[in-house]
Amino acid sequence: MDLKFWFNENNGNWFHQRLNSAGSRCGKMLAMDQGVVEEWLSEFKTLPESAISSYAASLKEKASLVPAIYKVIRENYSDLLEPVCHQLFEFYRSGDPRLQRFTLQFLPELVWSYLSVTAGRDPHCSGCIEALLLGIYNLEIVDKDGQSKVLSFTVPSLSKPSVYHEPSTIGSMALTEGALANHGLSRVVYSGPHLQRETFTAQNRFEVLTFLLLCYNASLSYMSSSSLQSLCQLSSRICICGYPRQQIRRYKGINTRMSVSAEFLVQLITGIHYALCNGESDMGSKALDDVLYRAQLELYPEVLLVGNAIKSSLHGGALKSNKEGSRSIQVEITPTSSRISRNAVTSLSIRGHRWKRHDAVDLGSPDELMEISEVDEGFCSRAAQGGSPPTIVVSSNSGPSGGKTAAKGQRRLGSKLSRDREGVPESCRDPLSRKQVGGRAMSENLELLSLKRLTLTSSQSVPRAGTLSLSHTTSAVFSRSFEHMSNAFTVSNPVPVRGHSLAPSSPSAHETNRFSACSLQEDKLAYVVERVEHLGPSQHKQRSPSISFHLSTDL
Amino acid sequence: MTARKSGSRLETEIERCRSEGQWDKIPELVRQLSAKLISNDDLGELLLGEAKLQQYLKENPIKQGASPRGARPKLVEVRKHLTAALDRGNLKTDYMLEARLLMAKLSYVEGDYREALNQYSQVAMDDMLVGAPVYRLCMIAEAYATKGLCLEKVPTASPSISKRSPDADQEIITCYEKSGDIALLYLQEVEKVALSAGMQNRSPKPGPVTQEQELGYFLETGLQRAHVIHFKNGNLTRGVGRFREILRAVETRTTQNLRMTIARQLAEILLRGMCEQSYWSPLEDPPQQSPLNDSLRQCPLVRDYTLSRRPRVYSGENLFCPQENTEEALLLLLISESMANRDAVLSRIPEHNNDRIISLQSASVVYDLLTIALGRRGQYEMLSECLERAMKFAFEEFHLWYQFALSLMAAGKSARAVKVLKECIRLKPDDPTIPLLAVKLCIGNLHWLEEGERFAKMVVDMGEKASEFRAKGYLAIGLVYSLRATDASLRGTQEEYQRKALGAFQRAQSLSPTDHLASFYLALQLAVSRQIPEALGYVRQALQLQGDDVHSLHLLALLLSAQKHYHDALNIVEMALSEYPENFMLLFTKVKLETLCRGPEEGLLTCKHMLQIWKSCYNLTNPSDSGRGSSLLDRAIADRRQLNTMTLPDFTDPETASSSCSSVSRSEPSSFVHVPPLHPAPTPRLLPAAKPIPFAYCDHIPLRRPSTSDAVDPVFPLSSAGSVHATSMAASRVEQALSEVASSLQSSAPKQGPLHPWMTLAQIWLHAAEVYIGMGKPAEATACTQEAANLFPMSHNVLFMKGQVAELRGNMDEAKRWYEEALAISPTHVKTMQRLGLILHQLQRYSLAEKILRDAVQVNSTAHDVWNSLGEVLQAQGNDDAATECFLTALELEASSPILPFTIIPRTL
Repeated sequence: MDLKFWFNENNGNWFHQRLNSAGSRCGKMLAMDQGVVEEWLSEFKTLPESAISSYAASLKEKASLVPAIYKVIRENYSDLLEPVCHQLFEFYRSGDPRLQRFTLQFLPELVWSYLSVTAGRDPHCSGCIEALLLGIYNLEIVDKDGQSKVLSFTVPSLSKPSVYHEPSTIGSMALTEGALANHGLSRVVYSGPHLQRETFTAQNRFEVLTFLLLCYNASLSYMSSSSLQSLCQLSSRICICGYPRQQIRRYKGINTRMSVSAEFLVQLITGIHYALCNGESDMGSKALDDVLYRAQLELYPEVLLVGNAIKSSLHGGALKSNKEGSRSIQVEITPTSSRISRNAVTSLSIRGHRWKRHDAVDLGSPDELMEISEVDEGFCSRAAQGGSPPTIVVSSNSGPSGGKTAAKGQRRLGSKLSRDREGVPESCRDPLSRKQVGGRAMSENLELLSLKRLTLTSSQSVPRAGTLSLSHTTSAVFSRSFEHMSNAFTVSNPVPVRGHSLAPSSPSAHETNRFSACSLQEDKLAYVVERVEHLGPSQHKQRSPSISFHLSTDL
Repeated sequence: MTARKSGSRLETEIERCRSEGQWDKIPELVRQLSAKLISNDDLGELLLGEAKLQQYLKENPIKQGASPRGARPKLVEVRKHLTAALDRGNLKTDYMLEARLLMAKLSYVEGDYREALNQYSQVAMDDMLVGAPVYRLCMIAEAYATKGLCLEKVPTASPSISKRSPDADQEIITCYEKSGDIALLYLQEVEKVALSAGMQNRSPKPGPVTQEQELGYFLETGLQRAHVIHFKNGNLTRGVGRFREILRAVETRTTQNLRMTIARQLAEILLRGMCEQSYWSPLEDPPQQSPLNDSLRQCPLVRDYTLSRRPRVYSGENLFCPQENTEEALLLLLISESMANRDAVLSRIPEHNNDRIISLQSASVVYDLLTIALGRRGQYEMLSECLERAMKFAFEEFHLWYQFALSLMAAGKSARAVKVLKECIRLKPDDPTIPLLAVKLCIGNLHWLEEGERFAKMVVDMGEKASEFRAKGYLAIGLVYSLRATDASLRGTQEEYQRKALGAFQRAQSLSPTDHLASFYLALQLAVSRQIPEALGYVRQALQLQGDDVHSLHLLALLLSAQKHYHDALNIVEMALSEYPENFMLLFTKVKLETLCRGPEEGLLTCKHMLQIWKSCYNLTNPSDSGRGSSLLDRAIADRRQLNTMTLPDFTDPETASSSCSSVSRSEPSSFVHVPPLHPAPTPRLLPAAKPIPFAYCDHIPLRRPSTSDAVDPVFPLSSAGSVHATSMAASRVEQALSEVASSLQSSAPKQGPLHPWMTLAQIWLHAAEVYIGMGKPAEATACTQEAANLFPMSHNVLFMKGQVAELRGNMDEAKRWYEEALAISPTHVKTMQRLGLILHQLQRYSLAEKILRDAVQVNSTAHDVWNSLGEVLQAQGNDDAATECFLTALELEASSPILPFTIIPRTL
């Protein structure tokens, strides 16, 4: 397990042994290319340590070198393959990022070369490529101190403040197991630690290659377009060889099927995604299709998931990348006002509606927004912490009749409201209700607004409700709320009542949940909601969630 | 607020109207104003001019991207007012500057860009910022934006210069950036004022209409034009920097939509245009040289101006700042998602169709990007939770349902995944992939064979339409039949299913002759029905198609062992092991074969080797890894429902206590299930003195996903003939639950999820125990069994092994007790039945023995030793004819019996 092994001069012969076993055949390259490569080979050998940095910078200028090396790799039998692989490994070992990237750009081509040889069961001649791939792998799985490298990242959480947001403005969050588990920021390992490998076996092949692709993907921005093209080609070929689609793509190479792993394909897709958006849209989309094709045949959900998402995001309203092969990304000025019409019922409008009803607090305050408990998504994080009392009490208050409601909290607020209406000034104990008095004028105003909005919505659906056509236009449970609303509207029509209580308060708790978890047709999907209710009797009691709709006919 | 005169309510009111854009009230207020003081006339002119200009723009809004209108409007009245205000020169400096800005704006609207620029050059706008009232912030922001617009327009007038000089370009950008910054500041201030007004204002007047304030052309341009230019110039670094500046400013109601869009766009850029190495964190300076930028253009990398007032940014202690592109993309997407979710249009009336489509589109882009980001990092558990929130939008939306199903599948939540897949099938009945995915889940750890059959039939029924998937459909249905055959308790049904399975595999093989899986499963099915030579033919074919397929190699070895070519079989296994050195299935077979060919010592060595492999695979310690999700066990914990079933046997069965090391063994399975960092790892701390293989395990083993791609069989191979049976489901619950968890981690090994590491370890110990029993060493065998018992005290395999040890010691009563216990847990464990039958036979309780053995034969009609025992029992009862028949059957079966049952090879899609 001594990883110094790789650097140690004494037993570093392993690489050379592998190289020697590779055996070399006659080459048929053009003399010019050969010259370029040979010059490159000899140049680096004589380079003093101090000159490496400037040499790395100058590599870019050798325009004909990269294509020549590609040729060497593609022609498996070239004399030059062995020294080229060796030099590429030396580049990687040097630690200079530019030299490392120089080597990495050939990775797709090297992987293809290796895999095609393996599939063709041609045991000789891929030896030096294998050695190079394993060499890079073994260098990359350890950090500078020779310890196994572990790649991890932090899963951001909206419940923790960040440079881009404050938890309070996000409002309530779904109380799922995951959300609770994630309450803090958690660090997640996505790759590593890996074992060092001395040979490729059928078992470790894709583990090694996946990790190599991960390294490649980490420096995608530095890769030339020829490298990206080679990646797309690699992806297409791996996925279609031996399958009927090979004929469509007219690829006449090997025609045996190659086994793949889901992770490997996901890494390929990551690279393809970059290529697709950075100038290689044609080859990229072909490659993506081929990978998806294979993923369907192999029934890999992970690959299908990511591939479908990429495809759909390209069609959707996503950013357009520049078509003409350049890598730039274009954005346009977008209208900042909401494109959703104001009278549509949205999650927010429903949330706001219930809240405006009874907590006469100003709209704009984000802090108060926090305190809205939202039945459909569990409860707000502050309440979840258990410290502050739940401040939202939803009641079906409607003037004096509000006192009828059963729930304790409702009665409390209900009476308060009615007192307010009677104009009795009262010093309230809790700060919220003080605000309530203060902001009443405005909130009434807002109330008026929201009433208008709701009335509009329901009036639109009135004729339909009458003919019962609404029920079949929507299979989501949510439609029921509309029916309720419109029914109520018709009911209240003859009698000019100011408000009409719709939902019976406590027994409807469950139903209300359904309203908000509207389109979840399966009860199972809404299981979170049911869980919430069992969490604490006190919270439950005070937040007995009932929706009340105020509908007034005189508007 | 220096500009405000104390006590002047009127002025306050005017200021309020200006900041809130209530221009229609201005004329009336101006009338009141001039009534008070004659010197206010100039101010009145200014206000009237402004009001009329704004009113005009409100009525004739300038559209983004619209070219300057052909017929330039003349706003004579506005110009008159403003000229009047400016010319008399009685205005205070502040108002004077305001008048100039308005004049410039007027010039822009009229299309006279040079004049506008001329006006701007006379105003030091930066200085105006100090102590400016809210409305003036807006003015300045608009002025900067307008100046930028003018600067962009002016050079195009002279076609000779096609490209602006970088300096000019820079000036334009600076204008927009300043405009954007001040606009953000303005919006924050406006909201602050509105808030405090909302708190104090008791007047019956309607409150401020802050809710949906629209930004208007100039502010919108100012906020966004800068980054648009950056990206157009190929300066990704600056563009990203600008995005981040806007996003870091504290949100206001008006900027919510902008933030949502920008957050999504930035996430998109991070995901598709950047990589780990070219990333820089939001709080760092961008790298001097970046591959992201167009190398042909040289632009400064950072902002080169300062403002005396800047928008407030999110601040505080312990702010999370992303350090990696996926992290930042995820954070942005989560923010975006929460907003998109808020805008979900819930109503389904036709009038809101368009709104619904808009809200769906913006949300599904966010969810797609989330999928890309989380998929890259393998966080399918979290992804499935995110996509569950998307179900709000999902009514009749195939894409969202499908993605949700796939994420559940990838996260290992099989049962729910099947249900969601059903909905997907309903939405898209023509796609053969979906039912195939469902079959894959059903015949996997769910073992829902009937459902699986239904799904598989869907694919088969598609006929030609399914094209390449047709063969796969037959394969699927063949697997279902094959598994049902194993489950069937009646011989008739068993044979019926086997026949059907064979037919389906043959069909699959003829449809897709290049698919090695078809040939392989055909071979396996033939092997199970003991047609060994035919099976050999097809397994060879499979190997020709896929030379290094581990299951084909394994099957080949088993087939050779069935023909009693043990050495050849061993050679094959060893060859396969050179390609799959960490495959425990192969190693178990190797132990068996070695014990047979080379003696038990060799087998023991292999056991030791296996323990070493186990350690190196699962024991790569990683102290920093305390996160969730990646490590095997953490993932296992994620699905609580499975864990509930896992702990069940510990408490329901009082017999647990009777296991020799009650306290430890009882607590351990549950503790390693519930404590995330796996504290009391079931370490073999009770190692007896006679421990065969000394092996030190570190006590704290954070498991990681195994790098091996072992074959998986949900049950111990020792028992596989019996315990896959549906009847023994409840029995092997622990194992099942564990294997379910294990196969939910299938990502590394596509067709064969890795065994749960602890199960593997227990199996290794049991194999070692078996070898010791074969050597006649009860003490060592007990020690090994104990190791396994420490891990799974309630496993029937462990109890069976304990019975074997007792038998070896000659303690028949104890052995009988263990066997009975094993059968209590797994009533169809054939090996136990056979041993118990033999013991009963020895105790001369023939009829009971016969009953048990007959049951065993029903369960597995190919177990030759059961037939043999049955023959013995019948013989002892004097039923010679029947006994002879049994012996003959046993002989015949023995001739084709592999060293381990063929069914240990997993059958998965």
